[in-house]
Order: sequence, then structure tokens, then C-alpha cells
Amino acid sequence: MTENKQWEPKIVAFCCNWCSYGGADTAGMGRFQQPASLRIIRVMCSGRIDPLHVFNAFLEGADAVLVTGCHLGDCHYVNGNYKTQVRYDFMEDMVLELGLEPERLHLSWISASEGEKFANFVREVTEQVRKLGPSPLKPEGVN
Amino acid sequence: MVEVGDRIIGYSTDTGVRNKGASGGLVTAVLAAALEKGLVEEVVVLKHISEYEAVPIITSDVNEVLASAGSMHTVPVNLAKYAVGKNVAMPGKACDIRGVIEQAKRNEVDIDNAYLIGLNCGGTMYPVQTQEMLINMYEIDPEDVTGENIEKGNLIFRTRSGEEKGISIDELEEAGYGRRESCRYCDVKIPVNADLACGNWGVIGELSGNATFCEVMNEKGVRLLENAIEAGFIEIQPASDKAIAIREKVNNVMLSMSEKWSEKIFTEIPDGERTRYYMEQFADCIDCGACKEVCPACTCGEDSKCTMYHNLEDNYRMSMFHMVRLMHLSDSCIGCGQCTDVCPADIPVTTIFRRFAEKSQKKYNYKAGMTLERPPFLEVMPR
Repeated sequence: MTENKQWEPKIVAFCCNWCSYGGADTAGMGRFQQPASLRIIRVMCSGRIDPLHVFNAFLEGADAVLVTGCHLGDCHYVNGNYKTQVRYDFMEDMVLELGLEPERLHLSWISASEGEKFANFVREVTEQVRKLGPSPLKPEGVN
Repeated sequence: MVEVGDRIIGYSTDTGVRNKGASGGLVTAVLAAALEKGLVEEVVVLKHISEYEAVPIITSDVNEVLASAGSMHTVPVNLAKYAVGKNVAMPGKACDIRGVIEQAKRNEVDIDNAYLIGLNCGGTMYPVQTQEMLINMYEIDPEDVTGENIEKGNLIFRTRSGEEKGISIDELEEAGYGRRESCRYCDVKIPVNADLACGNWGVIGELSGNATFCEVMNEKGVRLLENAIEAGFIEIQPASDKAIAIREKVNNVMLSMSEKWSEKIFTEIPDGERTRYYMEQFADCIDCGACKEVCPACTCGEDSKCTMYHNLEDNYRMSMFHMVRLMHLSDSCIGCGQCTDVCPADIPVTTIFRRFAEKSQKKYNYKAGMTLERPPFLEVMPR
């Protein structure tokens, strides 16, 4: 990377197969501009997201992690996203206690038709993280 | 005869046990009776080695129970895992009992088959450090000591010649001796989560030092006591109001001491420095996994999520092993201090884990190991 090129944050998004992944798809189809900082990991249900995945993403060099899923009550597997909510509360507390900025971890419920919401969400988080700078947990040699 | 909620003062009918046991030998006698009458198959006791050392054993021999070491302040082991998969009766500090209950939540211990006799605990000490303290602070030869006791905030040692010398715990702890760090800020001194909550706090008058105060916490406690009375192993009498008040007072004094310590130890690290603090502390980790091995809240066994990810070859800023455990223990840590004890790199593991756990557990109004309530992390619906 050349010196004068602006630093781009690396953002990992966990998207559930039925809603938010569809939302990301819709965002693309609707041609909503969004930054190229996003790496999407598709999971079948947001309830599958273990805190371990989130913290491993941070340790591998993610500057922010997004946890996304269906709106509460709309889960394809009945109550998967309620479980996500329970775990997310714990992850949030742990991120705070670890001393990471709260802007580095986000939870959002996005349905398959909310392409614009997805694009806006990504844009917003990228902006916030760009101001914060690289994550302190980023390993050496990773941009 | 005995009912749940009863507060009694009792002692062993056997004079040998009564004189040898720490406070009237009530606990030893109850354990022996449970074994003798077939209430349990085995009993966990400490086997005496020296004044500063003892090893936990699981025995079905009544004589071994009667010959057990009694309460030892310098043996900071956690007995929780000794109850796994057995029909046992065991004595234990509040943290032992909390460990057993955490194991029971994870289906490792059948709580109906585990009889838990809680012992009041003001704190435990390290054996080597204690001997050092005896030489430097008390000016007593460690070999001469025959007994120790904590009374009115003083740690008292009795020597062979019958002399007693006490120094206040605050003074000792200021000098770097005294109780283990996790005991200083521990906030459960009377084990109300056990079946019987025993101890010498509240034993007054002529019985002082010669009997045990005991509160019956549940049905299993009733069974234990009635069994021992029927077998003729113990004698009990109801505790006076004064005794109950004194026990409560001692407890409050100990708790306020803990509060002071926890304020001192858990001073907030400023936002910008926390990450670096944790990274620096865990940088010493050699990934031996001992902290996980001894943890009374852990039931995963060898193939666990945390050990799968500990690997010295990754170039992570912080071990993934600790990340998984921090998350897991933020709702389950009982603060027993075992992990700090075994850490070969001297990382203050317990204190770090408590920083996460205190916040989470306070938020959910949940205290690990006190009741069989499901850990909040495992709830399906957010509260």
C-alpha cells in the first residue's frame, strides 16, 4: 500500500442466509453505492454466530464486525435471532471491557427487501471506523 | 425434628472427635454418620499431611473421615470436581459449593445425590507464603504451630507451648501476606448455597471453640442432620438470638472488608489503556491450559472450544483461548482463584476474569453458583 493512499477499514459482516444476505443482494441489485470495505460471511442463521467467530474476526484483523439477521419474530428458524440478541449483549459488554470502542461492533436486523438500509448501514459504520483508525487487536503486518 | 431454616448449635458426641475437630467436630460427625448409615457412598475429606498441607481424598472408610484434617486455611484447593459423577457428601467453602452447583447446572453432578456441607470462610492462604509470614511477621518457627484461627479481624496462630499470637489481617495484607487475592474480595462468606451452612461464627459462651453454629438451608440438610442425630453421632440445641446476631455481625464485618478490597483492586482502568493492559497481561501466557483444567465452572473436558484454538503459532495480539474463556466465564466465573494459583506465568487470571464477570453478573442480577438458575448466556429469550 502506498503512503498517500487513504487507509480503508476492514469490516466483517455476518449475514443470515434468509434476510440480511438477501438484503446485501438487494443493495447490489438496486445499485446503492457502498464502500468496498465489507467482507460478508454468510451463515444460515444469525443464531449460528458464536462470540468466538466475532472475536476471531477481530484477532484476524477486522476493524469492525457487524452482526446482522432477520427482524425479531421473522426468523426462518423461529427464534434464532433472539438467541443472537442474548449473545450479542454479552459480546457488547466484553468488547467494552476489552477497551475496544463500542462503534466496532454492531447489531442490525435487516430484511431481504431492505437493500437501501443495508447500504446505508455499511456506509455509516465505515465512516465511524475510518475516524477511529485501525483496531488495536489487529495483528502485525495486516492492513 | 429439624426443619428447613433452623439455626442450631451442635457438636459431636464422640469426645475424641470433639476435641480434635476444629469446633466441636460437628461437620466430621455429620459426614461420618452419612457414610455409616448409607446416605452416601463416599465422602470427600482433606487428608492431613502437615500443618500447611493436606490432600483431598474420596473415601468410603469411616475411620478415614474421623481422622481427616478438618478445616485448613492454608489449603486453597477447590473440591468441586471431586463430586462429579458420585454419590458423595462433602464439606466445602462457599466457592467449593458454588463450583459444585455450576457443575450440577451442566449435568456433571447429580445435585440430589451430592450432600454439601458449607463452611464459613473468611479466606484462605498460600502454604509457602504463610510459612514465610510466620517467620517474618510472627517470629514463630512454622514447625511449632499447632493451630490457626481468624477472630475479630485478627489472624491468630497457636504454638506448641500454648502461646497465641494474633496480628490484624489488614496489617498482614498491607505487608503482602495474608489471604489470597481472590479471597480478599470474595463476597460470599457464609455458604448459603449449601445444604448446611456451618461455622464457628456465633458460637459464644462456654461452648466457644467447642461447638459449631449450623443453619439448615434445605431438605437435604434436614436429612443430613436427622441422620446424624439418629445415629447418635451429634447433639444439637437451638441457637440463641444473640448467637444469630453475632454470626450476622461477623459476616457483615467480613463483607465490608471485601467491599473495600474490591474497590481497591477493581479500580477502573481508563478506556484508552484497557486493551493494552489485557494484551500485556496475556502476553506472558504459555498456553499450558492449566487455568482451564482447574476451573470449577468448566465441564467441557478435553475437546473444548477454548483449547481447540490455543496455538502459539498464530500472530494474534491476544490468545483466542482467553477470548473464548472470557466470554464463557463472564456469566459463570465464581471467583475461586484457582486459575491464578496454578498459572505458571503468574498472570493474575482470576482478577482479570472477575473484571468481566462482575460487570456481566451484576447486569443480569445473577450470581454464579448460588442457585440452580440457568446462566443468562444460555437463555433463549433476552430478558
